This record gives sequence, structure tokens and C-alpha cells, in this order.
Amino acid sequence: MSGSTIPTAWTFARRELRGGLRGFRVMLACLALGVAGIAAVGSVVAAINDGLAQEGRKLLGGDAEVQLTYRIATDDERTALSAEGDLSEIFDFRGMARTPDGDSALVQAKAVDDVYPLYGEVVLDPPMPLPEAFATDAEGRPGVVVERVLATRLGLEPGDAVLFGEATMVLSAVLESEPDRAAGGFAFGPRLLLSADALEATKLVGPGTLYETEYRLRLPEDADISAVKDRLLEEFPEAGWRWRDRRNGAPGVARFVERIGAFLTLVGLAALAVGGVGVGASVRAYLDGKTETIATLKTLGADGRLVMWTYLLQIGVLSALGVAIGLVLGAGAPLLAAPILEARLPVPANFGVYWEPLWEAAIYGLLAAFLFALWPLARAREVRAAGLFRDLVAPARQIPRPAYLTAIGLLAFGVAGAAVVFTGQARLAIGFVAGVAAALALLAGAAWAIGVAARGLARTRLGRSSLPLRLALGSVGGPGGETRGAVLALGLGLTVLTAIGLIDHNLRGMVSDQLPERAPAYFFIDIRDDELPGFLDQAEAQPGVTEIETAPMLRGVLTRINGMTAAEWQASGKVDPEFDWVLEGDRGVTYAAAPPEGTEIREGEWWPEDYSGPNLVSFGEEQGKGLGLQLGDQIAVNVLGREITAEIASFRRVEFREMGINFLMVFDQNVLRGAPHVHIATVYGDEPQEGAYLRALARDYPTVTAIRVEDALEVMADALRDIAAAARAGAVATLVTGLVVLIGAAAAGQQRQIYDAAILKTLGAARSGLLGAMSLRSALLGVAASVVALGAGGLAAWAVLTFVMEAPFAFDAVTAGSIVVGGVLATLITGALFALGPLSARPARVLRARE
Amino acid sequence: MSDPVIELTDVRLALESKAGRVEILRGVDARIGKGETVGVVGPSGSGKSSLLMVMGGLERASGGTVSALGRDLTALDEDALARFRRDHMGVVFQSFHLIPTMTALENVAAPLELAGDRDAFGKARAELDAVGLSARHDHYPAQLSGGEQQRVALARAAAPRPDILLADEPTGNLDGATGASIMELLFGLHERHGATLVLVTHDPGLADRCQRVIRMADGRIAAGASADAEPQAAA
Repeated sequence: MSGSTIPTAWTFARRELRGGLRGFRVMLACLALGVAGIAAVGSVVAAINDGLAQEGRKLLGGDAEVQLTYRIATDDERTALSAEGDLSEIFDFRGMARTPDGDSALVQAKAVDDVYPLYGEVVLDPPMPLPEAFATDAEGRPGVVVERVLATRLGLEPGDAVLFGEATMVLSAVLESEPDRAAGGFAFGPRLLLSADALEATKLVGPGTLYETEYRLRLPEDADISAVKDRLLEEFPEAGWRWRDRRNGAPGVARFVERIGAFLTLVGLAALAVGGVGVGASVRAYLDGKTETIATLKTLGADGRLVMWTYLLQIGVLSALGVAIGLVLGAGAPLLAAPILEARLPVPANFGVYWEPLWEAAIYGLLAAFLFALWPLARAREVRAAGLFRDLVAPARQIPRPAYLTAIGLLAFGVAGAAVVFTGQARLAIGFVAGVAAALALLAGAAWAIGVAARGLARTRLGRSSLPLRLALGSVGGPGGETRGAVLALGLGLTVLTAIGLIDHNLRGMVSDQLPERAPAYFFIDIRDDELPGFLDQAEAQPGVTEIETAPMLRGVLTRINGMTAAEWQASGKVDPEFDWVLEGDRGVTYAAAPPEGTEIREGEWWPEDYSGPNLVSFGEEQGKGLGLQLGDQIAVNVLGREITAEIASFRRVEFREMGINFLMVFDQNVLRGAPHVHIATVYGDEPQEGAYLRALARDYPTVTAIRVEDALEVMADALRDIAAAARAGAVATLVTGLVVLIGAAAAGQQRQIYDAAILKTLGAARSGLLGAMSLRSALLGVAASVVALGAGGLAAWAVLTFVMEAPFAFDAVTAGSIVVGGVLATLITGALFALGPLSARPARVLRARE
Repeated sequence: MSDPVIELTDVRLALESKAGRVEILRGVDARIGKGETVGVVGPSGSGKSSLLMVMGGLERASGGTVSALGRDLTALDEDALARFRRDHMGVVFQSFHLIPTMTALENVAAPLELAGDRDAFGKARAELDAVGLSARHDHYPAQLSGGEQQRVALARAAAPRPDILLADEPTGNLDGATGASIMELLFGLHERHGATLVLVTHDPGLADRCQRVIRMADGRIAAGASADAEPQAAA
């Protein structure tokens, strides 16, 4: 034979493609939707990353920043920092802003020097420069600016007095925007901005109180940031500095965006998998229609390879087209939505066309297209020439040849590999791809079982009792791939929706359900030693207060383990990356003679109440094990600039989710008593009384900050809501793709239904009976797909919650029920859309056309 | 008789269907010589078309041997059979089976292209002209009448100059006059190129134009199995 299989196949493929795209609309739509979703997510993430990178110095408020906890820089440190460039000093802390009437609200305060901001600008209303806003008024009150939400809550207008800590200040303007907002951490309250000069009078920042200082540098244009970083960190290895620079100005945001992006990409992959089912069904339907052509080609001397290549090339061209449409949509949609997205996003985004996410989406799309098309393609090459003579031909093989099965396996592997490489979340990606594969296998098995059951049921007395039921069962169980396509596509769409719905439900439950039993109403932080007895007396005297717990509260950075620096310890590979966070910032530290109530010692022993001896510490069990710590290890913690070394005497169970006071590290009673520190108190009480005692306490203890637990939870719930909304959007995209596939399957089956209806009408069936049979068929498919989806989605949600989020799982009947109802409705509606043709078919015309 | 071009020995064909096993050919022996024209007749379901399929390697015999041009077709796999047809056989069907997405010219050129013929289109043009379709080269099958479609099919079968022409009721779907002109073309092709022609037909008149007639009944040959056995079957 000539060695020109592929050129000849290409010639034939081109001729067949001239027939147009009629049979391929569903395939194109499925691929385009799936690819568009992934491309859009990738484009938005790229836009944000680019925005973060370009605006890095503005977000950070400098080219580089050093953060310190509970202390200001020493003179040596300041000198070294100033030597590198212009230096700006900022204090970041929480406090209560009050009105003279006694209203108060928690704020996230920032005290800035007169060079702030180094980059970008602060926008005020009425417009004025920041120094003017900070200027002292005629009554000697320093100026302060607050976010609008705070001004509204406290009913403040420019010119009104604001009590902050022990100082009385004047509101000079409303803060519209600050350039470095996104770089800040998790804020519990709205922003209040004051000048560093006015800070002292508030008495909110001092030894032992909770605050951070940020030293920001404006470097010369030609400065080498890495060199500056190395120089400074080498010079002050023990300073407990946390370094950030403009190359990644908002690492928290960047990490968050990356994770959400990875998650949404995976949801997009689910949509693509559903689309893949549609691709497979389209290719199968197309090739079924080509049986005669293939048999003719074989009669003329085409071998299986040529047939295979002829159709592979066609599918390749069509896939490329579908992917291209998807890329245009995926790149275009964020561009069109840019004005809306920019307004909603809390971070700068630079919308444009980014090739990398498009390239990734294209790879996903092509891999998925061939993955799902290869099976029907492999079967097409088995079409026998004898098929032209009559229908009665020994059946061709059903399972593709081993080479094709291998190729299908490799493509599936390719999708998983691409997901791992592109999302950078290996465990999540592999788990996800395996989950989708398992769900598809489960659904395929279910589709087969449904067919068998329908055929069996049709033969029972029940099945024979009603013609519509028998017709419906026959249509579900009969030949033709519609049942499988519909169950796979709708089922997978509903599985994703169920999983997301249940995860969402459980996460919300986690926030709200854990409250009722025994959650405190308020945390009070920064209670000074000398204030504590009075504060407790007064709090206990308030009506409605049922219980108060207090503990000394310090923050410390874990700097050394067994003589190695934290960085060395990390580099030695002992730390589970999941617990890197323990070493990366400051953690809550306290001391106690007796174990706090509810403490569960898991290993080692608590020290005696009258203990005196070498320093001991009790460490959180899970975190300690995550760091690779053992009983007897020596850890050093930098507390307020002082390094304290202690031996690990025990591991405790620490349940951070229960809202009581808890600390990662509890030292023995002698270690920290001498260090200046404050106390934290949790107050349990009845809701209605809260307002009253808060006002009283806020008045008498102006430097004590109250955090309403419900508000704090609300902040977390808000963050969860945004994530959940994004996830739901992804799930809906999956379901839309599922509906397209469903519609495609219904359309593909319509000719057969018209023919069936024509015969039945000839035999005397009324239209109502036909409609009944068709509705029943839709309902049967919908119920079957939904039930399997509930099982698979529930399993997926349980796995994600248990293994990824480490949260409890509970099945929710409402979510589950609405998904079943939705699935049945979806099939009923698409079924009804395509019932019109068969119902209005004129039997004579239809049947004569078949002769 | 010269060496047989097609030789069937105890050929059996049984197909499994959902209704059970169906015996279609029950031990057929036949020899067809080079350049012969053979008509295959018999009632519906007697196995005429199946016999043709087995000869063309389109259907694999369940027993016995089938050889064509000295090659044992039963030993060839599906692809080898396809290549054998490409190089040696032309097949014409009752319902034409043109590829709907190809023009008349492309349909005729297809087997030549499969064989790697560089002048596929030149030859296809000449072949279409020869069957009187010079004005229809660029028409799609759907734009052609039944007779025209069958002429395209004839041209397609003849274009590679096959050694064997197999025709399965080529006039079955055509009216009398059109059918007659198709038969003229078919026999004309045989005369011009000397191909062996096996023709399945219901029409006794057509069968009589063949040098020999094989009569099928119930999966067996009732008469005309070889030229030696019944030299004067066709008068």
C-alpha cells in the first residue's frame, strides 16, 4: 500500500467537512463552554496577578517592608534601614473608636508618619492632603480620618469629636481609599488613620499591647532588592523581622487568588468533563450516520487505519474550532466584564489578553476532546463493509483495540498531569480528576443498570399494564446511546452541583452551628495588669453576664528549635508544609500554673502548681507534630524582643474552632510573669444585655478593645460567602454544559422518536398517550441521574470536607431534595422541547420517507 | 477452462442474530473463470447477495475456502481484504452507496486515490465521460437522479480497471429504461476491459445475457456451479 495514509485521509476528511457543522453544534458548544470557563478563570487570575505585580510597591506601600510584632525598631535597626533608602514607620493595631455619647465600634487603626504614603495616594472626602487632615484644630484636638462605613455607624460628620483610647480627636475627613489596603491582613474592623504624633496620647500602643510596626523603604531605582534583603536579614538575624517586597506586595492576596483560581479551574474542568460527554455523544452520533460511508470506503479498499485517520482528522479540526471559540469567549468575557469586575475586586487587576491561561485552556480542551472522542472513533474503524448489503451482520467489536484503550488511558493521564502542572495543587488536582473519573464510571454503570432494569421492568405485569409506561421503559432500555449520554451528562453536572452545595452548606453550618452551645459574646483584648481586677469586677456586676474567663496574652515568634533557626529547621525537611504557618508569623502565647479548663493532655505531663525549675512549655499536639517536634525538644520563642527558651513538657489538644481562649504555646507560670503583658478576657452573656455592658466597659476602660464574636464570625462568613458564590458560579457553568449535552441527546434521538411516534399513531396511539410516555421517560432518566448524582456528590463533598478542609460533614436533605427536583425538571423540560416534532409527525409522510 | 479467477470450496456462512443462528450458505462450490460473465439468480433469501459478498471478501465465510486470483481470501484480515479489493475488485450496489459528501468526480476518484494513483482525477473524469456524465462532475449524489447515481457507481467500480466486477442487483432500484442503459454500460465495461463479471439479479432477461447462470436455492447452488458442469446454461 502507498505510504500516504494521512494525506489521503486528509483529502477525504476535507471533503466530508464540506457537509458543514450541522451535526456538530452540540460538540462545539460543549467544548467552547468548557474551554471558555477555564480560560476566563485563568484570564481573571492572570489579570489580578499582573495587577498585583505592577502595583506591588503601591500595595505594599514601599519597595520593601519589614514587619515587627509588639515592638518598634531599635536605633541600630533604624540606621541600617535608613541607609538603604527613604524610611517610613507605621503602627498597626486594633482599638475602640467612641463618640462622646458612648457609642463605640472596633476599628483597625494605622498610625502613620509624615512621609506616608511612600507610593500611591490617600483619597479623602472632602479632598485634602493627609497632613492637613492630621492637623490639630483650634481646640487642640489632633485630626483623624475614618472609613465611611465607620462614620455612618457612629453617626460622625467631619468636625465631630472622636474618642480613641485615652485621646480626644476630631474627624477631619472620610477616608475614601488608601493605596496599601490590600496588603494588610485580615481586618476585623473599618480603618481609622491617625498621625504617629497623635498616637502617644491614645495610650493604645505600649509594652505588652498587641500591635505591629511596619518599616517601609523607598529604594533607589537601581537598587537590587534581593541584595538589600540579604544584607538586612544577615545583619539582624535574630530580630524577628518579617520581610516583604514589591515583587510580591500582597502575598496573602496572591496566595488566596492562586488557590481560588486553582479551585475554580478544577470546577471548570468538571464542566469540561461534562462537555466531553457531549463531545463523545456527538462523535458517536455523527459516526453512526457515517456507517454507510465508512462501509463504502472499505469496499473501495480503505483499510481501518485510513478510516480512523479520516475521522480523527475531522474531529481534530472540529475540536480546534470548538477550542478556538471557547478561547475567544474566555478571553473576551473578562475584558467585557472588566469595568464591573474592577469595581468589585478588592485588588487591582490589569485586564487584557493573557496567553498563558489561554494556552492552558486550549490544552485542557484538546485533551478532553480526544479523550472522549477516541472511543467512538476506535469503534468506527471496526465498521464492516458487509454492512452495506444488509443489517444482519456479525456485530463488530464493542471494546476498542488495546492500542486505542492505551491511548485513552494516556489522554486521561495527560488531563490529570496538566491539572497538576497548571494548578500547582497536586493533591487537589489528582483527587479531583480521580473523582471525576470515578463519578463517570459510576454514572456509566448506573446508566447500564437503568437500561437493564427498564428492560426487565417492561416485561413484568406492571410494565405490561400501561402502554405509556411500557413505551417509556422501552425507550430508556432500548438500543441507542441516549440513555447513557443523558445520565452521564446530567448526572455529572448534578454531582458537581451536589458536592458544591453540600460543601457550602457544611461550611456555613460550621460558622453558625458552633455558636449556640457555649460561645462567648465578646473578646476583650489589651486589658492591662492594673486594669484587670477592676475590669473583672465591673464585668461580673453587669446584668446578663454569666461567665468570664481571662488569660495573660502575649504574642511570640518561634525562632529556634533544638538550636537550629526556624529556617534551618524548615530546610531540614522535618516540617509538614501544611504547618509552615506556625513558623511564619507570631503566635499567641500564655502562661498558666494549672491546665486551662477543658485541656486534654495527649502526651507528657503538666507541671505541678508549685513548679520551679527550667522553663517548660506545653505545645498544641497537631501543630507540634506537624513541625516534627517531640517531648524534650528545646524551643526558643521571641517575645517582645526577648528570646525565651523552654523544653516541651507536654502536647495538648487545641481546638481553635471552639471559640474559647486557646493558645498554641502555654509556658509554665514562672517564665513570662515578669514580661510586660496584657490580658485577654472572654465574656459569656445573654444577647439582649450586650449593648448595655459594652457601653459601660468602653467608657471606663478606653484602651481595652472589644471584639464582638458575632461580628468576627460575620467577617469570616463574608469571606466564605464570596468563595461559595464563586464556586456556585462554577457549578452552574457545569450544569449549563450538562443541559447542552442533554439537549443534544434529545435532539439526536428526535428522528427515532418521530419514526416511533408515526408507527404508534398508525397503530392508533393518541397524542396524549405519546406525550405521557415521553414525559415518563424523561422523568425516569432525571430521577436516575439525580439519585446517582446525590450519592457521588455526597461522597465527593464528604471527601473534600474530611480530607481537605478537615471539617465535619452532615448530609442536608434540602440541598439534596432541590437537586433531585432540579434534575427531573431539567429532563422534563428538554424532553418537552423535543416532544413537539414526534407529536405533530404525520405518519404517512414519515413512513413513506423511510422506504 | 483457464485457471479460475474465483474459486469457492464448500463455503458456508452462518450469522448469529438475536433471533438465533441463521444458515445462509450451506456448502457452496463454484468456479468462475477469467473474463467470464456469470449471472446469479434465485428467490429472495436464497443467498445470492451473500455469495457475492463472500466472493468480494466483504463477508467472511464461516467454513470452506474462498480464493480469488489465486489468493486465499479466508486467510486475509479485514484490512488486507480491503487492499485486495482496492487492487483487484469493483463492486456495484443496488442502492448505489455513493459517499454523500463527495461530488460525482470525487466519488469516482476515491478508489484511485486510495491506490495512490497520481492521475486519479484525470482518470475519474474520463470514466465519468465514458458513462455519459460529462456535465455532472461537480454534482453531489443528492443532486443526481437514481440512474445517474448508478452510472457514477459504475464509473467508480470501473475506474481502477479491476480484474473482477461484482454487481448486486444494480438495476433493482431503477425503472426499466434506465436499468437497461445501466446494463449496457456494465456489459460494455466488461467487453472493453475484459473484467470478470458476477451479476446478482432477479431479472431472467439480464441473467440470460451472461455466459453462465448460477441458480441459488436455500443457500446452495442448484445449477451452474462451474462452466465445465453446465457449459450451456446461458443460451
